[in-house]
Amino acid sequence: MSLSTPTYNEPTATGTFPGKPDVLVARKHHLLVRWSHWLNVPIMLGLILSGISIYWASPIYQHAPDPQTGNFDYFADIGIWVCAHVPGLHHYSSPPDWIYNHMSLGPGMLGAALRLHWLCAYLFMLNGFVYVAGLALGEGWRSLMPRRTDLLDALRMIRYYIGIPFARLTRRKWLHPRFNTKYNALQRAAYFSVPVAGLLSVATGWAIHKPMQLHWLAALFGGYNAARVWHFWLMWVFIFFVLPHVILVLADGWDTLRSMIVGWSARVEGSEGLENEG
Amino acid sequence: MKVKENRDALEPEGTSPTNAKTEQEIAASLKPESAEETLSGSPRVERSEAGKTAGELEVSPEESKAHALTDVEGSEAAEVGELQPELDEVLGPSVDREPEPAESTPSVAAEPAPALKVNSFSREQPPQLIKVAPHVLRYWTRRDVLLFGAGAVAALAGAGSLLPQATLERLGVIHENKAWPKKEWFLNRALRIDDDVAEALYSENRLIPTYTKSQITPLKNNYNGATPDPSYIPNWQLELTGLASGLRVSLNIRNLLSRFQMHEQITRLVCVEGWSAVAWWSGLKFDDLLHAYPPTSQAKWVRVESSVNLDPSGNPDPYFVSLDLPTARHPQTLLATHFNGQPLTVDHGAPLRLLVPVKLGLKNVKAVTKLSFVAEEPRDYWAERGYSRYDGI
Repeated sequence: MSLSTPTYNEPTATGTFPGKPDVLVARKHHLLVRWSHWLNVPIMLGLILSGISIYWASPIYQHAPDPQTGNFDYFADIGIWVCAHVPGLHHYSSPPDWIYNHMSLGPGMLGAALRLHWLCAYLFMLNGFVYVAGLALGEGWRSLMPRRTDLLDALRMIRYYIGIPFARLTRRKWLHPRFNTKYNALQRAAYFSVPVAGLLSVATGWAIHKPMQLHWLAALFGGYNAARVWHFWLMWVFIFFVLPHVILVLADGWDTLRSMIVGWSARVEGSEGLENEG
Repeated sequence: MKVKENRDALEPEGTSPTNAKTEQEIAASLKPESAEETLSGSPRVERSEAGKTAGELEVSPEESKAHALTDVEGSEAAEVGELQPELDEVLGPSVDREPEPAESTPSVAAEPAPALKVNSFSREQPPQLIKVAPHVLRYWTRRDVLLFGAGAVAALAGAGSLLPQATLERLGVIHENKAWPKKEWFLNRALRIDDDVAEALYSENRLIPTYTKSQITPLKNNYNGATPDPSYIPNWQLELTGLASGLRVSLNIRNLLSRFQMHEQITRLVCVEGWSAVAWWSGLKFDDLLHAYPPTSQAKWVRVESSVNLDPSGNPDPYFVSLDLPTARHPQTLLATHFNGQPLTVDHGAPLRLLVPVKLGLKNVKAVTKLSFVAEEPRDYWAERGYSRYDGI
């Protein structure tokens, strides 16, 4: 169990600076949780970029071919629309490829994309074990468990977020709801859902990767074709999580971002200790 | 000296007798009213939970030290003497509970010992607090942020370099789309691992799902390149080499149809591109052919070849794939002659195609003209183009 502690071996003895009082910091994230958190950035990026390239080979969402362009892919339609409406893109050489050129490895890269996707997928699974180990050793998993009070607390948080712009406009003080738990109910819901989405992504990934040997797994998600749809939308769960996640961390400040690097938070004194977002 | 913290003392589920002892100590020090509150699921809970909430937090160094010492005695008595000088810096969680946020006067003497919740396994614990000198904290921050930065740069370079050459060229990172052998080697290793996993998953006894006629879906002509001219069909023959007899055998479609029992199956064909189709096939079992014409004893693979394939501009482009013999022997691996109850059309590989539904569609060679039984893994059209080789699904 000593695995959770080795980050805190101090370089020198205290007491050499008698003028400065010691400060208290709170443990926040286990070393393995921090590692897996940051490793997820390149791994997820690789999975999404290669995943959209794989999607290109046979889009799930298709319509009848366009009589003029022959295009049948809604994703490509978005690219065509972007090129037609965004200034400076009117002369883009291949509008149907715009999405794939900007959100993936590029069109027509199936072989390379599959190879990268498998590599990232195995790393993602290994990283998942690292994360679970970190949660268990650092006991952080308890902070993620849903509670009975979550629904009400989540509504309070939503009310708080909705109120921020009005409070700013009217220059009124708008207090963050008080929570003495590590995360507020919205954070907890997000941080609990993301590992679940990760697990489902892995499960649906295997279901469409090995639909014959693991046909029971594909059947669990409604068959091979349905498992592809699941897998596709689970990608959007991560994208829709990451956007507010990054914005809120940056809005919340350096301590919160730093705590995912160093593992501790200095927010144990002063009222800002309440506002741990992200 | 490395300080070992007494984290075990915080374990809610103590497994050792020493843990149990410290738990009792902690339990004895619980404030009764807060214990009650944390037990209930009411919104009051959050107000009374000990925590990092700063305004509510009071820690007296002396008291914390005393508790840390208690913990040490409970769990790691041997290390006490060594630990003592360092304890100031590594204190266990010793947090007083103060429901009043405005309260700022220390209440060391008045309050009972710190409260730790150990009554529920999944209950969130108060954060562990560590007391450190500011310069140590700055050192930690500097060290960890620098290490993290170095790691981020290395990860960016490493992961970025694994992107396909064409993508890097499009991004302007490289100016020439030249192959990079070491990268290819590395990515192909990952591909081989996945192939090994697929091979380990394969079981010759596991039958794949079959469907009813009402579940049949349209199957498009996905000929790689151009569809061949049907003029090859009248002279078509299936050639077998690598047989135990040492002979080279040629069979025409009438030989095959008259000699072997026909089997029907409605199975899903899955393409590497992601689409799939449920189709009704009939033909002879590959396994029956292997019994009629046994391969040499050394043979582990079969090279499946179609000489009639064309590239997109209509030039000859012979197609060849590798197939492991265990998969060829699978009871649902057919040499199909009929599709939807009708003899195969040229679109679907007339007069005979390989139907191996436990592999990706690209191994299901149309218009097979030659089967060679070999000891070494033969070349594979798509493996040579950056795809995997085993392709078991």
